Amino acid sequence: MSSTEQGTSSAAPAEPTTAPESAAAPEVPESFYYVHGKDKVVHKVSAGALQHSALIHGMISNLGYTEEQAKANPFPFENIDGDILQMVVDWCNQHKGKPTPPEDTNLPKQKEKLFDLVLAVNYLEIKELLTYCCKQVAMMVKGKSPEEIREIWMIPTDAEDEAAEKEAKKRAGKEAAGETAAAAGDAK
Amino acid sequence: MMPIALLKFPTDLLREIFKLCDPFELYKLSKCSKRAQKSITLGGKRNWKISFFGGNEMFISTGYSNYYFNKAMIPKNHLLTILGEYTNHIYIELPVGGVVDLFVYLLEIFGIRTVKSLESSFYGLHNVSKVAKVLIDKKIEIEGFWIRNIDDVQDAVHFMPLMNQMIIQKFQCSIEFPPEFHFEFVQYPNQISIMDSFWFNINQLLNSTCTRIHLQQSELSNQDLNVFLHDWKNTGAFPKLRYLEIQSEKIDNQSPILEMIPPITNVNNPRTKISIRNMFDDHIVDGVRVNKDDGTEGWLIVELGEWPILKFLIADPADTVVEEIPEDDEDDEDDEDDW
Repeated sequence: MSSTEQGTSSAAPAEPTTAPESAAAPEVPESFYYVHGKDKVVHKVSAGALQHSALIHGMISNLGYTEEQAKANPFPFENIDGDILQMVVDWCNQHKGKPTPPEDTNLPKQKEKLFDLVLAVNYLEIKELLTYCCKQVAMMVKGKSPEEIREIWMIPTDAEDEAAEKEAKKRAGKEAAGETAAAAGDAK
Repeated sequence: MMPIALLKFPTDLLREIFKLCDPFELYKLSKCSKRAQKSITLGGKRNWKISFFGGNEMFISTGYSNYYFNKAMIPKNHLLTILGEYTNHIYIELPVGGVVDLFVYLLEIFGIRTVKSLESSFYGLHNVSKVAKVLIDKKIEIEGFWIRNIDDVQDAVHFMPLMNQMIIQKFQCSIEFPPEFHFEFVQYPNQISIMDSFWFNINQLLNSTCTRIHLQQSELSNQDLNVFLHDWKNTGAFPKLRYLEIQSEKIDNQSPILEMIPPITNVNNPRTKISIRNMFDDHIVDGVRVNKDDGTEGWLIVELGEWPILKFLIADPADTVVEEIPEDDEDDEDDEDDW
């Protein structure tokens, strides 16, 4: 298993010898977690960066992993391509502890990955990035004709939908027949 | 541009994307296929409102902008789109059923539940009647319904019974019905404004459930208004009413209204102006205070002259403003009333 380590490590701050009345609370060392996608490449991400993802934030809340435990138990996201997860991790790191500006220049630019990125971001529940991605999708058809929209958003025609539906029914029928035959064979 | 298989997104994602599209984009998408159309409908109800004036256009208000759907007079203009800052236009070929079918189509694909404005303005009531029937069937609320500028008043006479099935917030009527016209509200709009209101009789006033009533050219007399105001004094009567304005030639100085002979006005200083916050039209200057049996306060003024008028405002401590008018502002207030 390869590993790309990102984020910054931080050492525990020295314990103060005196405690002035107005002193700020001691800085808590940042904790890190590990995630990997379909390609098994592990990404080290700080808890602060992961806060953007409501899904992961919910998973790690009160987990209390040590660094070693976290490393040994990376969160698997087998439904997300490695390069997509990398994009998401990069974005979370860039926006750690700060809200996304309305026009975010640090956003993933690869349009060809937009479909998978939207699904991943939706799955990981990263609200701000999802809003941006949805904006990108919506912007694709600004000022376009229905024919252009059909091409850009790959909308099948009614005839194509009907043919696909027929094909799906036929397949389902065959599968059901196959299962019945198999069950009958088992019974014999 | 790299295409993207939009309809493979789950419904919740489609909903997020569609929220970012304007009515023209979604209309064009709906024309791509039946499945695309269904996806838009499944995308949820929007807070958009639609307005229709009986002619070959209608518009959708999204909150920030208005999107006009206009009939394309020549085929080559089909889908011609002109975008502005707040006002946008698209020209389209109307469906086979004409403008009413387009109205229904937009209601359905966008899940619209409110009509902002329905008017018979210059185009008659033919299409408005058809749209009204659709709205009755679908139980869709109309914020403002205005009958005006129609060529044949008989169309309006035949239309009026539909009013009692429509859910209307504000009804305005600016036409003159024939003298024999008779109509009674069963279901009252929240607000009523009638220009030639001879047909709105005392029984209708006594049965009303409105918050605001403006009647011009009324036939209500001192006796009628006296009955109404005595009725209002009873606890629990007219719980929603906030403002009543009746202009009638039958208001005179021959009989009392609430034991007072008109004109009824407060001549004492300081002068006061009573108004309802955010309702700039509804105010009373130099009104006389009258009280309901439960203590609710009302302010009454009756003026005679060429256009006798009664104004009655019911106060609510939550939104009613009582202001003293400084002496040097007296001229301004008079000017304001003249308006």
